[in-house]
Amino acid sequence: MSVHSMTVKQIVSRVRQVFPEASENYVMNLINDALVEAGMYNAKTVHGKLSTVADQMWYDLSDGAEDSSGNKLEINKVLRVYLQDNDGDYIMIPRLLDRNIILADQTSESATTEPDSW
Amino acid sequence: MASNIKYPDEDAVWYIEGDKLALLTNVDSEGDTRTNTKGGRKLWKAIAESVTDGLLLHYHGEPNSVKNLIDEPDIDNSLHLFIVDYVKCKLFMDRSATVPAEEASRHMTLSNLHERKWKDALVKFGGRKRDKTGGSRVLIPFNLR
Repeated sequence: MSVHSMTVKQIVSRVRQVFPEASENYVMNLINDALVEAGMYNAKTVHGKLSTVADQMWYDLSDGAEDSSGNKLEINKVLRVYLQDNDGDYIMIPRLLDRNIILADQTSESATTEPDSW
Repeated sequence: MASNIKYPDEDAVWYIEGDKLALLTNVDSEGDTRTNTKGGRKLWKAIAESVTDGLLLHYHGEPNSVKNLIDEPDIDNSLHLFIVDYVKCKLFMDRSATVPAEEASRHMTLSNLHERKWKDALVKFGGRKRDKTGGSRVLIPFNLR
């Protein structure tokens, strides 16, 4: 076994070589800050599935969004999107770079987000 | 329910606006191209069918947080060592605020040193080092025709 990884405890012990007074809780918070920053780059690549809903144009990608099994998606950057065809295979669909080139009809939309009420 | 769309690559597009992904198709619930359109109006609409697991996303995700001392950070192990640099960078920065001015600059220098190591590992060289593509590189010349 050659893969060497570090636990939080090992990271804390290395940090304490220089900062013996550093609390475990604070170091753990800083590690989580580092993980949030690492997530902005290609640190973790994931596949997730969503169910399509008839007449729904917008699909939630926010921090609380869930996949079709109820797991948190936790998306930072969408790389590719695939749509299921009539054989059940997932086919990659193109990303629209300039959405002004098609005259999308939004009257069928059932999931628009309304502004918060006062 | 299975999808009725035969050629998703031709009949569907997506784009992102803020925290939402927009999915548009030009086919009806039977998978036939919408015909009652005028000059392209009302051709592209929201998908007309509900399909369980109909959409597959490939994305960069947020790593799971650590909660216990025995947890391992949820990122490639080649970055674990550099998390130590991130933590030290912040602790040196904290310390610089609590010591006399002549000592503070020394702590800030060390903070910057560790920050640079973290940034280099993550941004500058990170993608290249963690890229798991092997073999020789192939150059495809530009087609001038």
